[in-house]
Amino acid sequence: MTAPSAHDVCVIGGGVTGAGIARDLALRGLSVLLLEKGDWGAGTSGASSWMIHGGPRYLEFDWDTTRRSCEDAGHIVTIARHMVYRAVFLIPVLPHDRNNIERMETAMEVYDRFQPLKKAHPHRRLTAAEALQVEPGLTPDLIGAVTMEEWGVDPHRLVYANVEDAVAHGARALNHTRVTDLIRDGGKVIGVRYRGADGATAEARARVVVNATGPWSPEIGAMAGAAVQLRPAKGIHIVYPHRISNFAISSESIDGRDLLMVSHAGFTLLGTTDDDFYGDLDSVDVLADEVDYLLQGFERVFPAIRSYRPVRTTAGVRPTLFKWRRYEDELSRRYEVVDHEAEGVDGFVTIAGGKLSMYRLMAEETSDAVCRKLGHQALCTTATKPLPGSESEMEPAAELARRCGIPALAAIKLQSRHGSRTQRVFDGTATRRVLCRCEPITEAELVYATRHEQVRGLTDAFRRVGVAAGPCVGASCVMRASEVIGRELGWSAAQRFDAAREFMHDSWLGRAPVLGHAGWAQEELAQGALRGLAY
Amino acid sequence: MGRADSLAKLAWAYGLHLTRRRISRPRAQLRDLLDTYAADGIVPLTPDERARHPKLIGCINCGLCAFAAGRMGRTRLPDVAASYMRLYARLGGASSDVEGDDPDLEAAAAACPVGVPLTEVAAIVRRLAAG
Repeated sequence: MTAPSAHDVCVIGGGVTGAGIARDLALRGLSVLLLEKGDWGAGTSGASSWMIHGGPRYLEFDWDTTRRSCEDAGHIVTIARHMVYRAVFLIPVLPHDRNNIERMETAMEVYDRFQPLKKAHPHRRLTAAEALQVEPGLTPDLIGAVTMEEWGVDPHRLVYANVEDAVAHGARALNHTRVTDLIRDGGKVIGVRYRGADGATAEARARVVVNATGPWSPEIGAMAGAAVQLRPAKGIHIVYPHRISNFAISSESIDGRDLLMVSHAGFTLLGTTDDDFYGDLDSVDVLADEVDYLLQGFERVFPAIRSYRPVRTTAGVRPTLFKWRRYEDELSRRYEVVDHEAEGVDGFVTIAGGKLSMYRLMAEETSDAVCRKLGHQALCTTATKPLPGSESEMEPAAELARRCGIPALAAIKLQSRHGSRTQRVFDGTATRRVLCRCEPITEAELVYATRHEQVRGLTDAFRRVGVAAGPCVGASCVMRASEVIGRELGWSAAQRFDAAREFMHDSWLGRAPVLGHAGWAQEELAQGALRGLAY
Repeated sequence: MGRADSLAKLAWAYGLHLTRRRISRPRAQLRDLLDTYAADGIVPLTPDERARHPKLIGCINCGLCAFAAGRMGRTRLPDVAASYMRLYARLGGASSDVEGDDPDLEAAAAACPVGVPLTEVAAIVRRLAAG
């Protein structure tokens, strides 16, 4: 074991909240260690609906949550402008819906008061005929529709941008590094023991340890002897590898819950479920009846949905705050910053609850609590300081494409991930080859991600640059990607082979629940192309 | 208290909304909607495109179309047709990829194992890229 490193703060958990806290504290001048047991954003953040939204649903419960959420969404949209995009929702109203069109428009009129906080436009109301012009795939049974605007974002890139900026300001950030124990001195937490990606164990001392592990926070809390009580809720999405509609569409499920189909760049998410979860947080399976529940609810407003071929599912667990005797959907998305000193555990702070749309505010309040404990006086700057890539205007994609010799479409995708820093991808590498035609992704970007963005395997590459995220689910690119990553990391031929096989096996687990007729045709092709990687 | 307060405020807003609907004449808002989001590439598909859409995006990226059209490694139409259709809200910025490009789409479509109508796809890509 190496000698312990020393830091002001150790943040456990590399989801969007942990990464946001690390960035916030590093910008305030503190020395920070950020540890993530998997990859950045691989847990709840990555399994989200990819939305920076204000939460009109909370208008029924608490307008203040909507206001705070919209305010923080406005900050995120400003600091991450290169990676956000507008998502315009069509909310069709059908006969016998829980809310008639007048009630629905009332809710949107109220929500319009908050929309300017996040730089969004007010709603529109459409007749049935107008709604069908906007989206001809809607059911002809609809009475009318209202619209609502939110923002979409790639949570993996959002998390990584926070990690990158934290590191740029002095933080040390380690993925694939699992905390095995907390070091305690009496009741006080004074550091962590962890096992790194290479299997070696190490210790780090910290004046404050922050538990930002989402649904895993009771587990980390127990290491400190602190009670953290959550009511974890499982949510799944079906992933389609195309933009099904330019408009996001909402629907009502059989039990009256709101379902959303949202197009993000080149794919579509349909979700989500919301069920109490008591299982293993590291092995969350998608069940066939959860898929049926979503399809049944959504085909009521968009009958052709079963004609589309899904390629996989996502599953995550929300770290919802504990509440007894409440239906899952009625649980608040509020959050709590808990300083465990009051229960005799000093040096240990937990952030629990919340959602992606308020991550920056959650990070700010947690960082404030940490600074109070340390007697450190420095103001938060994350509401205005741009994330890497959003500091200046981007050049036109066609210009970048011409200069770098890549398709303009590939340039657009690159800019959505790297913003005004896109040129750095091509510095230090001569290759312009398109490695994945589905996205499309250049080999140069994968080389860059491996060298500079802590990509340690194919699943990391999937999150960081979108390898194998398209219609072919890796059949065309996974071996080439393994070759490129392996070359950079010094893998042997056997290691490259094993990495590709492991990736295809793991992605199969998320794909199996949604394969229909066309899905099997694609699967046969993939099996043929990758027969050496039998999974 | 928070819940009761929220519901009371919504009820008040509902009353105001109904009153406003009774005393004012609603105006069509479709044009406003389309104009607002055109710059973001958020434009509707035509009914015909919508009906054909599941077929248009059926590409499984096997690459046979590029082989048939003699354009392996070209990474434009037809072999990245799937990418273009996936990202059709952003095609305005990718028009340089399809301008003056004339691959043998009939040969490409004939080779497609899942029957993607590549000529139609190319026409839609060009329409959307033109803005």
